[in-house]
Amino acid sequence: MDTQAILDALNDACPDHTFDAQAIPIDETVIEVPVICLKRVVACLGSGFSISHLSTITGQDTGTELELLYHFWSKGGLTLRVVLPYDDARIDSLTAVIPGADFYERELAEMLGVRLEGHPRSGLTEAEGFEHFLLPEDWRPGRPPLRKKQPPKENES
Amino acid sequence: MTRVTIPIGPQHPLLKEPLSFMLTAEGERVVDSVLRLGYVHRGIERLAEERSWVQNVHLLERVCGICSHIHTTTYCQGVEALLELEVPPRAQMIRTLMCELERIHSHLLWLGVLAENVGFTTIFMYSWRDREMVLDIMEDLSGGRIAHAVNIIGGVRIDPDAEQLDSIRRGLDKLQQQVDTLLDVVQHERSLRVRTQHVGRTTKELVRRHCVVGPVARAVGIDEDIRRDAPYAAYDRLSFKVITESGGDVWATALVRVRETSESLSLCHQILDQLDPGDVATRAGRRVPAGEVVSRAEAPRGEVIYYIRSAGTDKPARLKIRTPTLPALSLLGEQLRDIKLADVPVVLSGVDLCIACADR
Repeated sequence: MDTQAILDALNDACPDHTFDAQAIPIDETVIEVPVICLKRVVACLGSGFSISHLSTITGQDTGTELELLYHFWSKGGLTLRVVLPYDDARIDSLTAVIPGADFYERELAEMLGVRLEGHPRSGLTEAEGFEHFLLPEDWRPGRPPLRKKQPPKENES
Repeated sequence: MTRVTIPIGPQHPLLKEPLSFMLTAEGERVVDSVLRLGYVHRGIERLAEERSWVQNVHLLERVCGICSHIHTTTYCQGVEALLELEVPPRAQMIRTLMCELERIHSHLLWLGVLAENVGFTTIFMYSWRDREMVLDIMEDLSGGRIAHAVNIIGGVRIDPDAEQLDSIRRGLDKLQQQVDTLLDVVQHERSLRVRTQHVGRTTKELVRRHCVVGPVARAVGIDEDIRRDAPYAAYDRLSFKVITESGGDVWATALVRVRETSESLSLCHQILDQLDPGDVATRAGRRVPAGEVVSRAEAPRGEVIYYIRSAGTDKPARLKIRTPTLPALSLLGEQLRDIKLADVPVVLSGVDLCIACADR
């Protein structure tokens, strides 16, 4: 995988942002991507480079913000890091471009309360934006289990 | 024609694990399916944040009841990368040996399930009998048939002696004959071919779009294997072929898996020949320096990926697991469209589902 070529292509695709690559173990290249550029970056990677598949999307609450990591594989690991603020946890869905992203995105919505804009199954239930995928049907709305700060428990019966 | 909705699962004789499918059928043809997971969701990712690095080895062994060893391998190599630990070569070899034994066990188990689902009970009995041989070898090595607890952070827990290695060699030789027989049956037995050829057929494009990995991807000709493309453990010192087929049907996945079993047997022999004496573990500290790591490995069902983040404490700050069954389930929605109702069990077994893995 030619990291420099990828960076050059991304800088051309999103001229208002300068992309930079960082290496983390085990042989993974990480590129930070602004939220608004994600779709363009993925389209650019999909057309010009032999990206084989999206391995998964990791969502995490770092204590100060939400972070999404899109792990791709193309004869080497390539991860896109997207940072979301707590009060505006919305991101464009990739399911229309990569159908395999469907389950990973539904997990993000369920576990971290991220809103996926334009996801085909979004809005099926009012509370979480999706019908439940991994959690039980009676899981209380508004309590994504992987968020560090949970609402107080006083309302529980 | 009237549409009928048929619920399959979460408890159903066809399924080995709880999973729910709502199939919509028009007469004998399936036209749609809706999937619901989560019946064995144990919240392992969240649990891992509450347990120490060492305790997590035992927790993660329980993600899957078939490929338990690959999970601890992926986790341990990730944590070792954060600790910048050098794992002794003998430990790497033993780790790899267990990975390959596990692949043999998983593939033979799968062949049995497929045979049972197509009504070929003889092969189901044969392959599960042969699987016992691998389980015996693994039990002899580690004390456990399914949960082996072989990996520890920094190496492995077991150190087989010459006598054990000899008995493994004898077991593997016997197994090779059986696997050759099974391959012959899968290739030539008419009743098996009639039920699996052109069934559950998928294309390279669909497999790519749904991000499917492992034997299902290799059955449509995608030449990818983490063991070769990003060698971990001792794979850089071993030689093996990555098996691919082009058919994309259940029969092709069966051929890929049985041939892979043969390759795994050859890998086991290579490991036994190259196993030099030495240490089996390096001491690891209780705290892991702050940092993040992406660790990948090739499970029997395809690429497993772990993302681990440490905040410099004695527990992980985040641990994410993605097992190969999840993308396979995504593809299944497409495969279950416009097929005969009677082919549903065959298509389901073709992708080799492991629901506990997918649910975590």
